[in-house]
Amino acid sequence: MNELVKGILNAKFTADVTRRHFVQGASGLATLAALPSLASAEVGGPLNYFGWDGEHGANVAKEFLASNNIQYQPSFQSSGDEALTRFNTGGRGTIDLLTPNKDFQKTILAAGVELFQPLDMARIPNAAGLFQAFREAPWLIKDGQVYGVPLIWGDEPCVYNPAKWDAMPAKYTDFADPKYQGELVVLDDPFGNIWLFAKSIGAEDPSRLTAAQLEQAVAALMTVKPNIVTIGASFADMADVLVRGDASIGIGGWAYQAQIGKEKGVELKVASPATDGTYYWSDSYAIALDAPNVDNAYAFIDFMTSAESNAAIAAELGSGCTVEKAYELTDPGLRDLFPYDYVRQPGGGILGTQVVFPPQEPDGDIVPASAWVEAWQAFKLA
Amino acid sequence: MPAGGYYALLFGVPMVGLFVLSFLRAQGFEVVVDFSFANYEKIATSPLYQKLLVRTIRVGIVTAAIVVPMAFALSYLMRFVFERRGQLILQLILLSLFSGYLVRIYAWRTILGKQGLLNSTLQWLGLIDEPLAFLIYSDYATIITLTGILLPLAVLPIHSAMANITRAHIEAARDLGSRRLHLIRTILVPMALPGVRAAFAFAFLLAAGDFVTPALVGGTGGLMIGNVVADQFKGIGANWPLGAALAFVTLACVLVLYVVIVRAIRRVTMW
Repeated sequence: MNELVKGILNAKFTADVTRRHFVQGASGLATLAALPSLASAEVGGPLNYFGWDGEHGANVAKEFLASNNIQYQPSFQSSGDEALTRFNTGGRGTIDLLTPNKDFQKTILAAGVELFQPLDMARIPNAAGLFQAFREAPWLIKDGQVYGVPLIWGDEPCVYNPAKWDAMPAKYTDFADPKYQGELVVLDDPFGNIWLFAKSIGAEDPSRLTAAQLEQAVAALMTVKPNIVTIGASFADMADVLVRGDASIGIGGWAYQAQIGKEKGVELKVASPATDGTYYWSDSYAIALDAPNVDNAYAFIDFMTSAESNAAIAAELGSGCTVEKAYELTDPGLRDLFPYDYVRQPGGGILGTQVVFPPQEPDGDIVPASAWVEAWQAFKLA
Repeated sequence: MPAGGYYALLFGVPMVGLFVLSFLRAQGFEVVVDFSFANYEKIATSPLYQKLLVRTIRVGIVTAAIVVPMAFALSYLMRFVFERRGQLILQLILLSLFSGYLVRIYAWRTILGKQGLLNSTLQWLGLIDEPLAFLIYSDYATIITLTGILLPLAVLPIHSAMANITRAHIEAARDLGSRRLHLIRTILVPMALPGVRAAFAFAFLLAAGDFVTPALVGGTGGLMIGNVVADQFKGIGANWPLGAALAFVTLACVLVLYVVIVRAIRRVTMW
């Protein structure tokens, strides 16, 4: 079956097909592959998703959802940590699936805050096919229990319009050059932006800043502010600004934005400042505590973790795949964007060690996340 | 259950809960029961929150100052100038309410953007060489968009209030020597005052409380107190008690200002 699928997908890649056709084809095949394992599961009825737009996988899982009579009800978060707010303000007992990123999930698990339930990995047999770094992801494991199944991964590069720019500068602070006036858009994300500029000014660990370092990072951001057109409310909003031509460079973007641009007839490229680089992330499927439709959630996660589904969702979102066999099914142009050597090693290399979120509480001289949020608000107001 | 019961249950109880929360303290992801005025002290001494409050109220007042006279003029036209077509005009004005809030904001982006309808038209007419950058991602864009969104809501109460004013009222005032501005100030506005007050409430309170429109079209300066309140309720770095205190300080400021302005309108429009 796998050879057949691989052959068909390869044929599709070499043919002149659209991404949508690929996704539809792959999802159909993946549904066929997943059906036998679902025979004994009690699936059907609602499945409530709260997470990133796109990662709900409704396109990829279309036939799977229909054939299992699952009514998928996705709603979307505007920031990576919104799930906790939703959960604590009436969402508990109504949400099944979440898509936390690694830093958020690590912080929540370390703090012992109630949000995720430990997973019964026997119900997700396809998870055995994950890259080693994702099978044993330290940010998903607490007290020997696993709390998430990685879906995609990637970095936060600059997304730019090649009609205006040939390349990105070496450092984020270089964006202060007046030639970028009226050309920049950033995401409304205190942690990502401050982290990038703290890195740019030479902070040793940009996630752990003293008050003075935080001030310096925000001062560096301030030098760039005159060139920023707007602060995107979400990745999709940022992409909209780029597609409309209101800005030509998105700092701290997502390769998915280039896909959105492509769909709307605007070519966008991705690259990171060569000296400063960027940070890496990975988003996982997790099941919320007191989820009302656990069987559907397990069946869905297992389906989405098959090689074919994982390749399809990675292609759809312009991101790295997390399943080893999905790598072969992924377009070479896409997979060359990401350093897969990291995820083939235990711990995930930089993916496992790099931290973006600051600590929740002060730690000696190190200021907490709330100070970052306040500094970001002051930056926006200035 | 009577309407008052629903109101007490669904609005009063949560508000009391939020008010109590504003005196507590955040510690990590927890809220600690440790009554103090610390959050209110922080707001009173923080230049950040004070600036934001002033900015929020300014946006609310400017928007209301544009929306209410426009709604009044439109209502007057529908009632007395295009009397026969009044209902049709009203339906056309209300048509925009059939689209989603976000859709309307993005529609304004399409109109005001660098390569938007307005800039393209001005360039095509040869009136400008470069797109007018200030049209989008600025305070202007925020106020224009809020005006477009809130105008239909402001028209409704004024139009309804004006239904009670007849031509006989206007003719009597004119016979007694009342000229146009005097007529508006002493006859039309006082008679339509309940509608004007409701329109002002819609325009001012909704504009001051909005944080989506400024975030999407307000550019780098598009921060309102509502954004900061929302940030305090998000997961990492959240501080629910501070968010609750900010919400109550904003509510108090806006309500006081609303009462002052409505009284001022009443006083100006009296004999």
